[in-house]
Amino acid sequence: MRKILILAAAAATITTAVPASAADLVFSSWGGTTQDAQKAAWADKFAEKSGTNVLQDGPTDYGKLKAMVEANAVTWDVVDVEGDYAAQAGKNGLLEKLDFSVIDKSKLDPRFVTDYSVGSFYYSFVIGCNKDIVDACPKTWSDLFDTEKFPGKRTFYKWSAPGVIEAALLADGVPADKLYPLDLDRAFKKLDTIKGDIIWWSGGAQSQQLLASAEAPFGSLWNGRMTALAQSGINVETSWEQNITAADSLVVPKGAKNKDAAMQFIALATSAEAQAELANLTGYAPINLDSPKMMDEELAKTLPDAQTASQVNADMNYWAENRDAIGERWYAWQAK
Amino acid sequence: MATQTETESGRPYAPSVRARRPTDFDLTLPALGLLILFFVLPVAILLTRSVTEPVPGLGNYAELLGSSTYLRIFANTFIVSGLVTLVSLLVGFPVAWALAIMPSRVASVVFAILLLSMWTNLLARTYAWMVLLQRTGVINKVLIGMGLIDKPLPLVNNLTGVTIGMTYIMLPFIILPLYGVIRKIDPAILQAAALCGANRWQSLVRVLLPLAMPGMAAGALMVFVMSLGYFVTPALLGGTANMMLAELIAQFVQSLVNWGMGGAAALVLLVVTLALYAVQLRFFGTDRMGGR
Repeated sequence: MRKILILAAAAATITTAVPASAADLVFSSWGGTTQDAQKAAWADKFAEKSGTNVLQDGPTDYGKLKAMVEANAVTWDVVDVEGDYAAQAGKNGLLEKLDFSVIDKSKLDPRFVTDYSVGSFYYSFVIGCNKDIVDACPKTWSDLFDTEKFPGKRTFYKWSAPGVIEAALLADGVPADKLYPLDLDRAFKKLDTIKGDIIWWSGGAQSQQLLASAEAPFGSLWNGRMTALAQSGINVETSWEQNITAADSLVVPKGAKNKDAAMQFIALATSAEAQAELANLTGYAPINLDSPKMMDEELAKTLPDAQTASQVNADMNYWAENRDAIGERWYAWQAK
Repeated sequence: MATQTETESGRPYAPSVRARRPTDFDLTLPALGLLILFFVLPVAILLTRSVTEPVPGLGNYAELLGSSTYLRIFANTFIVSGLVTLVSLLVGFPVAWALAIMPSRVASVVFAILLLSMWTNLLARTYAWMVLLQRTGVINKVLIGMGLIDKPLPLVNNLTGVTIGMTYIMLPFIILPLYGVIRKIDPAILQAAALCGANRWQSLVRVLLPLAMPGMAAGALMVFVMSLGYFVTPALLGGTANMMLAELIAQFVQSLVNWGMGGAAALVLLVVTLALYAVQLRFFGTDRMGGR
């Protein structure tokens, strides 16, 4: 195990992974149902239209991406990454600039566009609750942090990423427009008050399992996972109060073998139709502003797009600047 | 040469007629080359990064060894490994003993069960433990149903969960060497002890345990060293407060992309492991590692 770990990080720096044939495009994402949907909505369509075969790889691993770029042996052409990572990696020279003569950014949600990245889809951290188990569901972040009013375990996203720190500050009464720069001391102090009652989820499937089995009857989840739980017939409630948006981004690693095809792939993936299709399949929101009107009306109502009244946008640029510092503090706090 | 070998001696590879017989060392060359290229070299590169990134010097080590959080993770790694080793010994010894004295037909069935668990995917086994141990899981539901407890026991996302999950995975590694050693013990010795008036307890403590000591020590050290670098099970069955070193390394390498710190943590783990291996060699030699 130890060997595998070190190897995973280091081997890639000196070995050249078996390359896909030059004509194939390689797309890396996070696996699971989301990548299946990306394949159906984007890759298969792209292959049909361009004749370029799209190979699926994953899960996305930032260590691997860095190793590929440094060794100039890049096997991924288009990569789905977290928005804050995209903003940071662009600045650190790990990404190609996107060609906006190929990708039409005029219709893309400007919250998720940088020189090096465009949104892949966007999602909200919402408050999910299993209604079969508890009498009353927490409606606000303050409720979710109130262990007296809502006793029991609650589940939060394990990794250092936009979402939980914002939720803690909102719960502590920080106004949404005064969130940034994040007051980390205050956030961790607030998190300390419920630390013993947190069960961390490290992946979307786990968050669903925790909620459905009532191991943690409520918590902060990705909205798409709540939609899926509801569809599977579980009696859940979603509170959109101060839902916190974050996005995945599409990027092209520096030195990608099929740069031109990669730009065309991103152009297709961010088109109104492809974004609408992905949203239909996943319950996550499209980043193309023309997509919602192409979607099924009932479904469009369940998207973060329909919940903008009290929506809070995580600041990707702030996170990009402070990603490392917050991350180290986050993991140190968790391990305490 | 092959024909010559066959005609002159009647059997291949007769040493007397071979111009040069490959030595033991020659035979290890392919494996050694593979190891150097794909393990030693990459590790060396990663370790080099620990003293060059982000700036040359020992800054990463100072940060690692100077922070109470990281020291806690080091300590935790040893506590968990020690606990797992101890429980594995306590659970594994009776099993090994039973295996050694039971009829071989029954023993082969038990072995099959033991090995089958080893061949099952690690992740699947770990998730299975999650389902069993969680608050709404099988074990707690049964206990509550039987009226033995009112509130679910916290069996997972904590030290208990890590210890149970890891012990289960490590058991074969302690049972197999122990079985080898106990099998070699002449049953007549135990009879002799009984004839000399030793009761069962005395036979166990004064005769069987000392004789089984080499196997216990070899198995225990192997389990301890393997536990030090464990990753998946503690990550899934432990809470964040039970983080072990391997998980910290993965975090540095994959999430924080801080390879300097990742390399430093990896070196610390490597040094500890090699030191323990040296102890093992010093006291037990390579021959005894398999319980022979």
